[in-house]
Amino acid sequence: MGDLLWLVPALPLAGATVMLFGGGRLGRAAGWIATALVAAAFALAVAILLDLLSMPAEARVLVDDVYEWMAAGAFSVDVAFRADPLSITMTLVVTGVGALIHLYAIGYMEHDPRVGRFFAYMNLFVFFMLVLVLADNYLLLYLGWEGVGLCSYLLIGFWFDRPSAASAAKKAFVTTRIGDAAMLLGIALIFITFGSLDFGEVLAPLGAADGATPSSGTFTVISLLLLAGAVGKSAQLPLHVWLPDAMEGPTPVSALIHAATMVTAGVYLVIRSHVLFELSGTALTVVLVVGLLGAIYAALASIGQFDIKRALAYSTMSQIGFMFFAVGMRFYEGAMLLLVCHAFYKALLFLTAGNVLHGLDDETDMRRMGGLRADMPISAVWFGIGALSLAGIPPLAGFFAKDEIVGFAATSGREIAWLLATVGAFMSALYISRPLFLAFFGRRRTERTAHEAPWLMQAPLALLALLTVGGGIVLGLQAEGGRLATFLEPVVGAAEHGEAFLSDAGLIAISVVLAVAAVAIAYWIWASGRVDWQAFPSRQPELAGWLSNAFYVNTLYAWLVQHPGKGFAHVLTSVDDRVIDGAVNEVAEDVGKASRIAPRIQRGFVRTYALGFLLGAVALLLFLGWRG
Amino acid sequence: MSTPVSYFLVVSAMLFAIGTVGVLVRRNALVIFMSVELQLNAVNLALVAFSRLHGNLNGQVLAFFSMVVAAAEVVVGLAIIVTVYRRRQSASVDDLTVLRG
Repeated sequence: MGDLLWLVPALPLAGATVMLFGGGRLGRAAGWIATALVAAAFALAVAILLDLLSMPAEARVLVDDVYEWMAAGAFSVDVAFRADPLSITMTLVVTGVGALIHLYAIGYMEHDPRVGRFFAYMNLFVFFMLVLVLADNYLLLYLGWEGVGLCSYLLIGFWFDRPSAASAAKKAFVTTRIGDAAMLLGIALIFITFGSLDFGEVLAPLGAADGATPSSGTFTVISLLLLAGAVGKSAQLPLHVWLPDAMEGPTPVSALIHAATMVTAGVYLVIRSHVLFELSGTALTVVLVVGLLGAIYAALASIGQFDIKRALAYSTMSQIGFMFFAVGMRFYEGAMLLLVCHAFYKALLFLTAGNVLHGLDDETDMRRMGGLRADMPISAVWFGIGALSLAGIPPLAGFFAKDEIVGFAATSGREIAWLLATVGAFMSALYISRPLFLAFFGRRRTERTAHEAPWLMQAPLALLALLTVGGGIVLGLQAEGGRLATFLEPVVGAAEHGEAFLSDAGLIAISVVLAVAAVAIAYWIWASGRVDWQAFPSRQPELAGWLSNAFYVNTLYAWLVQHPGKGFAHVLTSVDDRVIDGAVNEVAEDVGKASRIAPRIQRGFVRTYALGFLLGAVALLLFLGWRG
Repeated sequence: MSTPVSYFLVVSAMLFAIGTVGVLVRRNALVIFMSVELQLNAVNLALVAFSRLHGNLNGQVLAFFSMVVAAAEVVVGLAIIVTVYRRRQSASVDDLTVLRG
């Protein structure tokens, strides 16, 4: 199967090509073709997974060297794909969840006139994402990395006739580019240090021998540069500002790119390069702190949002923060478990939010929803499953993933981190129950009657709900160490569990009790009708402002970057206007003035000219005579 | 011997001066034109006189050239003056100031 690996990304690429050139003529068939191709890629990935599973655990690597991409002196990069437990897990998530979201989008984008183009971009995104996760070297990974950034830009700005969408797309592109630039430097440094960019050559020897020749300072720099790229792509502090705005894109895009797959690329990158991060202890600590701060920050910001999609966007950021937190503790299999489960339930949540938008004519403000349970009972069930899973209610997927990560903080002896993570988990449960209760429960705050989404949109949701319910048990149940963890162990190594200050049962009890309490509190505030939450912004304008504006980070960046930048641009334009254009205009004006003086001697009288000739001739003769 | 060259030159200079004054003071285009002819002929006279003085034919040849050119110029010039007169019912050069800057 290894030699068929190239076909996995090639299928969606073919779809993108066909639809970019013939999308207009395909009409509604475009969506079905796109979905079928991604599903075919998924089937192929499953076949490769079975192939991997049939091998002994330590030898589960398939490399498909397609062709030599570029060679210059000692520098040589191939287009080569690598299937190992880590990349195949990502591939299955991308293609599996991707196919379901494609299927959903057929119904969601039905009335859009540019549906062909939409599915072309979606397929192109899946292609680049697969290149990213299947790449066998950093440069090919970077190609995919930039490609998904491009598709993200195209899809956020899909409704580019809305100025907000166009500027959100630009913001996402520019913000992630800051991280990408750092990441490219990191890749260059990897080549300088190791003389190669192949994962096999860069990472494997390091993993085997601990006596590394380059200094740990080099690894710290490389790791931090790679982390900057990961932070940009995964919308972590301080480059997170683009993600909430990215919700301007169509909802399936938010689900696929800005929740389930692309934004987790940063987590994948760090896990893939974990050998480098481990050689520099500092970098791992940075990852841990960035993740934990991001998780809590985004949880607080999410509570302040009234736009259902923005609330979900901050929740995505918070969840990815948890993944980074796990990676920072060297708990890679926990991070991957959360990544996979998060892909299930966050896609479910976003697509259900899409149902709400679809049913309410694109209303996104939760203050004008409420009581939708009556109109959309099925969607309410989906959202409930997704929200409770994120909240960490057993036995849903989110419980296994989050509980393991929070618990690991305790068993690895990081008490303060455990405390903060527990607070973060509590707030997660609070902020995700909030849209559930605001939108589907409580008093009705709109005159419109919502209509339930058609079966074509419900079918993928049912599958995602099934994955959300069962995924955690199948992948994460601790019985034999967790299936996913065992599968990933050859790549990421086994996590070192220690003794915690509490028993496992005690830790689980704490997190479950807190999750249930958070859901109950959320119900009491936002659905019971006993708390006047709508008056909160007027009673506590300061606090509400801090929360709803996500601690004014955008304003801060405007002061730090935007205003100085604009000021500098103004200086430059005035230099251009006054000095450069000024000089040119001044010369032109002087010539003009001169040309208004010169005609005054042209009176038009022939005899005046004749006198001029005469005087000139006399003067010439006198001059010649004087010269002798 | 024959007449000294200076005599011819004096006559030539006088003719040229008369022609010049004519060009400068007269308004009628036709008269100005005639004055220009007078200047040309004054120069021709000087050329022939110098030719005689130096004993070669260069000056005379040049005088012929100048006559031919003058003839051609008269044809064009007179045609222009006649056309202008037909158009404007006037041959006064002071009326022709369309090319004033």
